[in-house]
Amino acid sequence: MIDKFLMAYRSIRERRARSILTVLGIVVGIAAIVSLMSVGYGMEEAITGELTAMADLISVMPGKITGATYVELGGFTDRDVKDLQRIGGIKDISAMTYDAVEVEYRNKRAPIFVFGGDTKELEGFYVEPVGLKEGRWLRENDYKGCVIGDRVANDFFDEVIQVNDKLIINGEKFIVVGVFEKASTLYAADVDPHIFLTLRASKEVLQTDEVKYIMVRVYDIDEAEEIAEEIMEVINDNHGLDDFATAMTMGSMIELMGDIFNIIRGVLVGIAAIALIVASIGIMNTMLMSVMERTHEIGVMKAIGAKSRDVLSLFLLESSMVSLVGGVLGCGLGVIVAKGLSFVASMASGLEIEAIVKPEVILGGIAVAMIVGVLSGFYPARKASKMSPVEAVRYG
Amino acid sequence: MIRTENLTKVYRMGEVEVQALRDVNLEIQDGEFIAIIGPSGSGKSTLLNMIGCLDKPTSGAVLIDDINTGKLSENELAEIRREKIGFIFQQFNLIHTLNALENVALPIFFAGVRREKRLKRAEEQLVKVGLEDRIYHKPSEMSGGEQQRVAIARALSNDPEIVIGDEPTGNVDTEAGNAIMDILEGLNREGRTIIVVTHDADIAARAGRTKRMRDGKVLD
Ligand SMILES: Nc1ncnc2c1ncn2[C@@H]1O[C@H](COP(=O)(O)OP(=O)(O)OP(=O)(O)O)[C@@H](O)[C@H]1O
Ligand SMILES: [Mg+2]
Repeated sequence: MIDKFLMAYRSIRERRARSILTVLGIVVGIAAIVSLMSVGYGMEEAITGELTAMADLISVMPGKITGATYVELGGFTDRDVKDLQRIGGIKDISAMTYDAVEVEYRNKRAPIFVFGGDTKELEGFYVEPVGLKEGRWLRENDYKGCVIGDRVANDFFDEVIQVNDKLIINGEKFIVVGVFEKASTLYAADVDPHIFLTLRASKEVLQTDEVKYIMVRVYDIDEAEEIAEEIMEVINDNHGLDDFATAMTMGSMIELMGDIFNIIRGVLVGIAAIALIVASIGIMNTMLMSVMERTHEIGVMKAIGAKSRDVLSLFLLESSMVSLVGGVLGCGLGVIVAKGLSFVASMASGLEIEAIVKPEVILGGIAVAMIVGVLSGFYPARKASKMSPVEAVRYG
Repeated sequence: MIRTENLTKVYRMGEVEVQALRDVNLEIQDGEFIAIIGPSGSGKSTLLNMIGCLDKPTSGAVLIDDINTGKLSENELAEIRREKIGFIFQQFNLIHTLNALENVALPIFFAGVRREKRLKRAEEQLVKVGLEDRIYHKPSEMSGGEQQRVAIARALSNDPEIVIGDEPTGNVDTEAGNAIMDILEGLNREGRTIIVVTHDADIAARAGRTKRMRDGKVLD
């Protein structure tokens, strides 16, 4: 047995260029599969991880979500908020309001969404994950202070807004006390284009008592779905409508994301499969060439007494050694590429994506390499081993 | 004993048929040294390939020790080539990735003999053809004459009764050719049957019997 390995090794080494090409083909195909899948898992983990950190949250909105669109049906009242406080299992409730109003800065005007709520709650939701670039967060008695998102500060007006600059929001003067960092993808839509005020100031500026958004934090994540149901019932009762309120747990959002991730992963695997098919054709080609090249050698072996089986097993051993090396190197390269890709993806998305290399992906990658290599070596080797010795010896 | 009965080989290439052998009847006794001569294309190689079980006749039969080789399976033919016959080619046909010792050991390897025993036997054969100081040389590192002696050692590695050479001296100079013939004569003295094809009258003269071929027929 050792001798067979030795012989296979010798002839692989002898045909160095051809062997390197074959190995390269396998490496590229396997690396594509391993890296794409690892990055896919990493992306999934990054996003569900961020969502899971907020798993004790229920978002309550006065409207309906159908498919991807949200239709607002009105606002909540103070009575709604009070009634929610009587539901068991709720840790705290934060009422928020928002609306688009005209904002003026150095004689330029723009319509901007203004957000108001309990400063402590908003701090937990937005300041902790996103962070402030300048200044400080709002205090409960900051009736004339505001904190602005990155796009408000940099994009919406001709001039960049900084801490201590003055804004006129719906006719009232406010001082900028803090500016947010640019938010990651997950928070960008909620933070970057908004101005944040205390609840009291926002009610005044927006001239409304209505609450547009309620965040509920529960004690026990397992009860979240039940509590969400109860919240909807209570509010719908108050308004005398059947589906006025939508209460969504983070859990159900994660499930929604799960479906999206299956699709993304499917696409990634599809791309990897195409890469592998292209690589397989290359491998088959080089195997075919290398066997053809050696038809003469096969003829000689048969002439001195080798059985077809002996010849076949030598060639299969050779192609499986090549495939194994290709598979292992491909997995190695795949891991490196995955790290690179996830770094690029992190930069592009603002999420912290770390490639996740699963052992089953590595094992699968090596197995696929072996199967492709051995199968593509099998056909030409079998054909050559079946030739008559004279015919094969004449060759070349 | 080797006997051919109406041995015929026809090569078909599209419309054209080439009669390489026509009803050849030949008997070679055990321990004989026979030389086959004849013009190019007369069918000498074709005849040797049939006797050496490297190819199958179109009709007729080759009998080795009264066994009709046409009735044997592929694996049984491989076994005959391995154990009973040693074949020497004009082009040496060594495996160039293997050194002299490994080339000689290859037929013993296919016979499934263990490594130490196999290498010992291979080395003995190389000593016998006078190549004890070329054991680890690759074919590319040896002269034509040396390569042909390695090929002879390889042909002898499973101790065959019959040694067949298709112009074994055709690609080496006169001196090396004589050395090869000396070895073949020695093998014949050991009792082996030797069959060689040659173009060289001096070499044919060293055989016990000479047969001439023309147009696929063996002349009397
Ligand atoms: N594989 C083949 N396909 C077609 N024709 C063949 C084949 N092998 C041999 N022939 C033909 O059969 C005839 C006999 O060939 P063979 O090789 O036996 O001649 P030879 O006596 O050995 O000649 P040389 O002295 O040149 O080696 C030739 O006409 C040759 O062209
Ligand atoms: Mg010939």
